[in-house]
Amino acid sequence: MAALQRVAPSLGTSASTYGSCKGAGADVIVSDQFPAGLRVLVVDDDITCLRLLEKMLRRCLYHVTTCSQATAALKLLRERKGCFDVVLSDVHMPDMDGFKLLELVGLEMDLPVIMMSADGRTSAVMRGISHGACDYLIKPIREEELKNIWQHVIRKKWNENKEQEHSGSFEDNDRHKRGNDAENASSFSEGAEGVLKGQKKRSIAKDEDDAELENDDPSASKKPRVVWSVELHQQFVSAVNHLGIDKAVPKRILELMNVPGLTRENVASHLQKFRLYLKRLSGVAQQGGISNPFCGLLDSNVKLNPLGRFDIQVLAASGQIPPQTLAALHAELFGHPAGSMVTTVDQPALLQASVQGPKCIPAEHGMAFGQPLGKCQTNMSKHFPQNVVSAEEVATGFVAWPSNSVGTVGPISNLGGMSSKNSNMLMDVVQQQKQQQQSPHLPSLPEPSRIINVQPSCLVVPSQSSATFQAGNSPASVNQNCSYSRSPMIDYSLLSPQSNNSSLNIGQISHGDLKTTGVSGYSGSGSISPLSSCSVNPDNTSQQGQSSTMTIRAARQLPGLGPNISNFQGSYGAKSSEVLDQGPLRNLGFVGKCTSIPSRLAVDEFESTMSNLEHEKLYMETNGNKVKQEPNGNAVKQEPNVEFMDNAKVLIPILPQLPPNTSDLMSVFTE
Amino acid sequence: MSRLLAILFHQGVLDEQFLQLQQLQDESSPNFVSEVVTIYFHESEKLLRNLRGLLLDREFSDYKKMGIHLNQFMGSSSSIGAKRVRNVCVAFRAASEQNNRAGCLRALELLEHEYCYLKNKLHELFQMEQQRVLAAGVRYPLHQQH
Repeated sequence: MAALQRVAPSLGTSASTYGSCKGAGADVIVSDQFPAGLRVLVVDDDITCLRLLEKMLRRCLYHVTTCSQATAALKLLRERKGCFDVVLSDVHMPDMDGFKLLELVGLEMDLPVIMMSADGRTSAVMRGISHGACDYLIKPIREEELKNIWQHVIRKKWNENKEQEHSGSFEDNDRHKRGNDAENASSFSEGAEGVLKGQKKRSIAKDEDDAELENDDPSASKKPRVVWSVELHQQFVSAVNHLGIDKAVPKRILELMNVPGLTRENVASHLQKFRLYLKRLSGVAQQGGISNPFCGLLDSNVKLNPLGRFDIQVLAASGQIPPQTLAALHAELFGHPAGSMVTTVDQPALLQASVQGPKCIPAEHGMAFGQPLGKCQTNMSKHFPQNVVSAEEVATGFVAWPSNSVGTVGPISNLGGMSSKNSNMLMDVVQQQKQQQQSPHLPSLPEPSRIINVQPSCLVVPSQSSATFQAGNSPASVNQNCSYSRSPMIDYSLLSPQSNNSSLNIGQISHGDLKTTGVSGYSGSGSISPLSSCSVNPDNTSQQGQSSTMTIRAARQLPGLGPNISNFQGSYGAKSSEVLDQGPLRNLGFVGKCTSIPSRLAVDEFESTMSNLEHEKLYMETNGNKVKQEPNGNAVKQEPNVEFMDNAKVLIPILPQLPPNTSDLMSVFTE
Repeated sequence: MSRLLAILFHQGVLDEQFLQLQQLQDESSPNFVSEVVTIYFHESEKLLRNLRGLLLDREFSDYKKMGIHLNQFMGSSSSIGAKRVRNVCVAFRAASEQNNRAGCLRALELLEHEYCYLKNKLHELFQMEQQRVLAAGVRYPLHQQH
């Protein structure tokens, strides 16, 4: 009974989840003076920032409670449930990891949690998103950013409502009834009971607390999330294809999939998203009007060519692709990556993200993909945090390829980082990026390159990937190639010269070497490899020292220069030799590392001035040379530098600025 | 005071975030800037001591811990607008991620140098501000008499 009662309100009302307090609180928010009076809990071990945030939030007319310890904050939240609307938390805290707090808050209180950090590197932001943060703010945080945090509260509320409605409409009758007729006690209770029973059975194995809440509302954060892993999604896609996209009903799909513990509701919501995604793709295709011979590309490119993969995506976006083919394509694409997806959600997230896309209105064919993803992110962030990342990757793939410019990367980054932002903003940014080859200005956007990394085959995301990559060089290399080709594109434009990104630049400078060399494959890995090279060659202390010096120099210079410049200079340094030393394998392995992600991003910043395509070509061309040179070791120092420099010059239009900067850097540092 | 501030901006010691900090000062918190900066100094010196302690330890290997300190230092420095300090932190972090001890030591020295410079200049700034307020207070009564 209690379960039923709980289900009813959650289905009926928009905001309330667990505590009645919350529902009441949510309603209170929308007052005349909204968003004034928003109750914010700020958690940060850095007292300076805590004080600043408190002041800024007070100026926004919010009710602020501050906590310098995560454990105290959690206690406060538990004691006073429903008395807070949004939580702002730092990522790095001594007593508890910010992400852990994020998960707990999401599970127990279902409050929107905004993460903050001084670390604005794409990998860090990616982590935030994958953990389900509503937003990720990079310090220094400005008052304007805080003014907007209320949107997360509203969005969350609305999305939960929408999810309930959608899942209801897509499901079988009983679910539908449940979704719509919260007040229809008889039908509702019947359906609910049926669902609850089924759910209860399933949930017994899972979290006891969530059993009652495991209604047909997949958006409820409290429900144990079903992670749509690559394999699971592939099973899903093949089941759908087998049935026919039009005839695929959740029940039959579930039977075909034959996955224990999976409920019809899970399948239904996943199917809904998938359908929306396919629709959006075909819709985008109509808008784009790019008539590419999809089939031909599919055959030739699907499997091996990373570029092809992107092409397919592009085609999918631009051309008319029947849903079934798209579904098959998805199976291909997502089944392709050999590297283990560090986060199981990557692939499914990607699909899901894309599936949710339809909710957004695609502005352009290229952009469309990205935009919906951006919007979808807000929807998905709760359920499939990783999805955002992957979705973004897909988006980047879409966007990056067709435009063939660095600029396209921009939107992708927006997608990834800004789940909360408007898709319009994304579009603007994307357009801006398209126009600007150089460091596009991305206001507090997480690095887009991060999105790219998420690509299924990619390395990106979490640190775990490093293990994967290093373990299997050959299979990884294939993937890496794919990822590389993508990342350079995306990273370039994405790595806007945010001041926060300077860290990327610095760390990446060594990577920059690789990039400048024009090996696009390297650029993906390149960013990573320099780091790896530094760490892998403990004996090369001199080189490391150089690199660190270089990085420091670059760091100093960063404020004044665009990331490209500083990065580029870094690359000119001794790093290139180090890079060479590592050899292709090292690079590949390095790419896998999670640390590589940020480095990649940083490198990307360098690259932002360069066109991705050029890099790729260079990579293809110079790859052979590089491989040969690597065995030579340090001796090759000089030659590669020259080579790289030449390539870099070819690739980087910004170069002219570099020479004076380099000298400045050196002088500054020596001082 | 504004001249000193302009110089600091020009040197890149401070950036716009410092202006934001100044704007947060109002009637309800008239000493907000100096309060926050004092907190910042206090915390930063703690962090610097920690960093130095970590690095000078012969058996130092916990780069991750150093990274956490750095992260906090970076966050607070950037939040008050200490641009140069923050940039050195970024370089420092890069060196630490490469497990480059020598680079870290260099970066630490540079960091301490930049921090000291910032602290001195901010003290100067506050002193000038105090003097200005005092002078204005002294002047006004005279002015009113006339």
